[in-house]
Amino acid sequence: MKYLTTSSLRLILYLILIAPFLLFVAYAFSTRWFFPHPFPIEWTVFTFQRVLDDTRTISSMAQGLWIALLVSVLSLILGFPAARVLGLRRFRGRHLVWMLFFLPTIIPPLAIGMGLNILFLQIGLAGTIPGVVLAHIIPTLPYTIFTLSSAFARFDENYEFQALALGASPIQTFFKVTLRLMAPSLVVAILFAFLISWSQYLLTLLIGGGQIITLPILLFSAASGGNPSTIATLSLLFIAPPVLVIVATARSLNRHGNEIREQY
Amino acid sequence: MRDKFIFSPWLSLAPAMTIVLILLGASLFYAIAESLGIISVIGQNEITLSAFRDTLNFHSEFWISLGFSLWISIASTLISSAVALLLAVWLSEHRGNTDTLALNWNLAFPHLVWSVALLLFLSQSGLLARWAAMIGLISAPVDFPVLVRDRFGIGIILSYLGKEIPFLTLIILAVLRSQSVEYDVVAENLGASKWQRLRYVTIPQVLPALLAGALLVFGFIFSSYEVPALLGIGYPRALPVLALRSFLDADLRARSEGMVISLIITFIVMVVAVISLRLGERKE
Amino acid sequence: MKHIVFLIVVFTLLLTACSPNKPPVNQPSTTSAPGVTDSPTIGGEFDINDWDNVLASAKGQTVNWYIWGGSDGINSFVDTVYGQALKEHYGITLNRVPLADTVDAVNQVLSEKQAGKDPGAVDLIWINGENFFTLKQADLLYRDWAQKLPNSKYVNWENPAINLDFGNPVDNMESPWSSAQFQFIYDSARLNEDELPRSYADLKNWACTHPGRFTYIAPGPGGFLGTRFVKGALYELSGGAEQWQKFEPATWEKWSPELWNYLNELKPCLWREGETYPKDESELVNLFANNEVDFSMTNDITGAGRWIADGRVPETARAFVFDHYMIGDFNYVAIPYNAPNKAAALVLANLLLEPEFQAAQILPENGFGLGYAIDVNRVRDEAAQSVLKAAAAKLGDAATPASDLARSLVGDAAAEYQNLIEQDWLEFVLQD
Repeated sequence: MKYLTTSSLRLILYLILIAPFLLFVAYAFSTRWFFPHPFPIEWTVFTFQRVLDDTRTISSMAQGLWIALLVSVLSLILGFPAARVLGLRRFRGRHLVWMLFFLPTIIPPLAIGMGLNILFLQIGLAGTIPGVVLAHIIPTLPYTIFTLSSAFARFDENYEFQALALGASPIQTFFKVTLRLMAPSLVVAILFAFLISWSQYLLTLLIGGGQIITLPILLFSAASGGNPSTIATLSLLFIAPPVLVIVATARSLNRHGNEIREQY
Repeated sequence: MRDKFIFSPWLSLAPAMTIVLILLGASLFYAIAESLGIISVIGQNEITLSAFRDTLNFHSEFWISLGFSLWISIASTLISSAVALLLAVWLSEHRGNTDTLALNWNLAFPHLVWSVALLLFLSQSGLLARWAAMIGLISAPVDFPVLVRDRFGIGIILSYLGKEIPFLTLIILAVLRSQSVEYDVVAENLGASKWQRLRYVTIPQVLPALLAGALLVFGFIFSSYEVPALLGIGYPRALPVLALRSFLDADLRARSEGMVISLIITFIVMVVAVISLRLGERKE
Repeated sequence: MKHIVFLIVVFTLLLTACSPNKPPVNQPSTTSAPGVTDSPTIGGEFDINDWDNVLASAKGQTVNWYIWGGSDGINSFVDTVYGQALKEHYGITLNRVPLADTVDAVNQVLSEKQAGKDPGAVDLIWINGENFFTLKQADLLYRDWAQKLPNSKYVNWENPAINLDFGNPVDNMESPWSSAQFQFIYDSARLNEDELPRSYADLKNWACTHPGRFTYIAPGPGGFLGTRFVKGALYELSGGAEQWQKFEPATWEKWSPELWNYLNELKPCLWREGETYPKDESELVNLFANNEVDFSMTNDITGAGRWIADGRVPETARAFVFDHYMIGDFNYVAIPYNAPNKAAALVLANLLLEPEFQAAQILPENGFGLGYAIDVNRVRDEAAQSVLKAAAAKLGDAATPASDLARSLVGDAAAEYQNLIEQDWLEFVLQD
């Protein structure tokens, strides 16, 4: 009996979690589904097809992917050395550096985007991919650093020393030892930087100025009162990468989930 | 030898620090300048406090928006903390190996998408209303309660609950699982009731982490734009919505007012974050 | 597992190394047409009086068309019909930039001006009324071109409804694209034609005997139909449209209290008692389709046709008008002074007036739904004439009969009233 309540409660929890997905599928593949019909009457791929055929959709996805890819790789390149130092070394000013990297996670993107808006316009970064990438790095870089530095804190440098002592070159050591040991955290760091950038609305809006169109921008403008089938289709496309990421990183997430704050 | 790869900590830190310092510094500088009415590109170089005066004027919409924002942030934070606490305790007592995955699954739905789902599901002619009509609970959309785009921000709060409960649950679960279960067992052996165990054992254990997490949640909700923009109504508006609307106004004076509001939001969020950090430190 | 992870990292690094070299989007492309550099029109310079020269200069350019993006139908019509024609016939790429409201494009040009950005990002804007007024006043428009387009001969420039845009002289700075007239939509399965209100006074009675079943679009950004609805009420209350064609503060002072009075009396009878309003046409259509309210609004010559074709409203939806004060107007395209690809913008503006495309834009199944900008009587070519006739015949039941439209047609109010109405409505109606 107790087992039954437990599993039924758990079932309800899971249903709540999966419900949005089912909802989007129902709306995306139906048409003329009005109140009071409880379930879709006419199933069709018409809207789904049209959204996919719209060059805007494809180009916004490509643009979003490209930006997110650049952002995650850049965050990794910038964040990796910093995280290593923060995770392994004790030095004067370390606390201050922590605070500095902590700042972007608390200063709202709204304030950052508005502040950078005119500057980027003046120096020609507004409405360009480099401009948007630079803006996205602000929220992603701290996550990359925090994820990696907590991994470095558990990292045992003796493996590196042993490799070097056994005659491996520094480069070999880096790729075969350091990167391998860090791999699970690296993946989490890079994927979540990717996701934060992929789902970024405000910074893209304020820096992209209507010229850099990503999926969140399209979805947001359709969301309040647009065609429900279009909205649902865009939503499905929008959550496809996150779903893949969550499934792919399910195991590492158990360890790192808490470092990824809800900015994402 | 030890520092084979790292010549000095500052060298390794330099690239990341430079980027963050320059971008944050520039954005802060421009924000303050514009809030003081200095917008040099249009030849406006005189410092004026008029944007502050207009914004903080007693009759300004700012105060209504501030109240509205505080209401949605505080309500969402309190409710999600309470639910998360109960859920975490329950989950830690009934372990299931897919629970963490299930809670993380929520990461797959960014706030924007989650809000869209609520709109489709909870509006007066949404899916829930249709099901209510199917079983005869209502006969027309108007009979269904207004749950999204409502005057009281219920839709906004519901949206944040959906996202923040899993987040806080994970935080509490992490604490509960890292600490030994023995206190609990000891208390049980001493004859403590379920409620007593929660009140005197579990809550003190998780409180610092929960508080720190809750304050982060508060700061996030207080400063975020998408959810209230989508699920709110035209009046009253949440503070970030008011800020962005003013900022994007063609009238440049309004732009300065947007900056003022954004600075005030940032200030409040920073204060809350500092408190949260302090609490987090005490925990360690 | 570790191997996979490692592979992912390497793969990602590889991807960044060899991903497509996408240039920044707003890079000025005036110099991008390689075939043009050896002609006399270097760097996008052209002679507007020589159309062949314009065409040559436009070839290879990308035209950035800033256009209100709130309608799926219009979006796909623009991309497929004009996008393909530009590509195939003129070697021009169309980049449609969707806007939540046209004022965003105006702001874009304004901030480019502030930042001294020339060339800018915008080549062509779908525009009319106050937005045109703003840009014209700030001297931010490319001048002296509209009547130089070859297809300008189809436009009746003598017509004040065309040469005045919200009372403001067009002055050759914008070229018409289409026409529109305010109408209501109802569902013939829910209401009989004889119960429909036929005036604003009627409407108030109807709304208060059917509380919660009517609402209008909030005047403001994206809500031009709502502003138009409110203007119609102003016309009826003041007993005429003519006095509103010119801006006159005294007239406004005299009649605006009555307008707010009317709307506030209507308010308790509205959907959700007027505590919130749909922000655009699409949102109102959703409310209408889901039986939350009984009327929607449209500007389309096709009436409900475009929405039916799109699966957004029941097939029984029909359009109707009041007996008077249904505002109609023309809408235009304009080119900013700092447009990077002016030649391509001119070619597109000219294409819009092509009789064949004018016919295509009124067909419900094409999803655009607005009326002609050209005067069909000026089209001499017989093939083109028959295309236009065939299109008009296809409008069908969902459209308002042409005679009803003509009988109730009035012009829009002077542009100054637009902002005034939108702002005062916020203060005196929404927040009241």
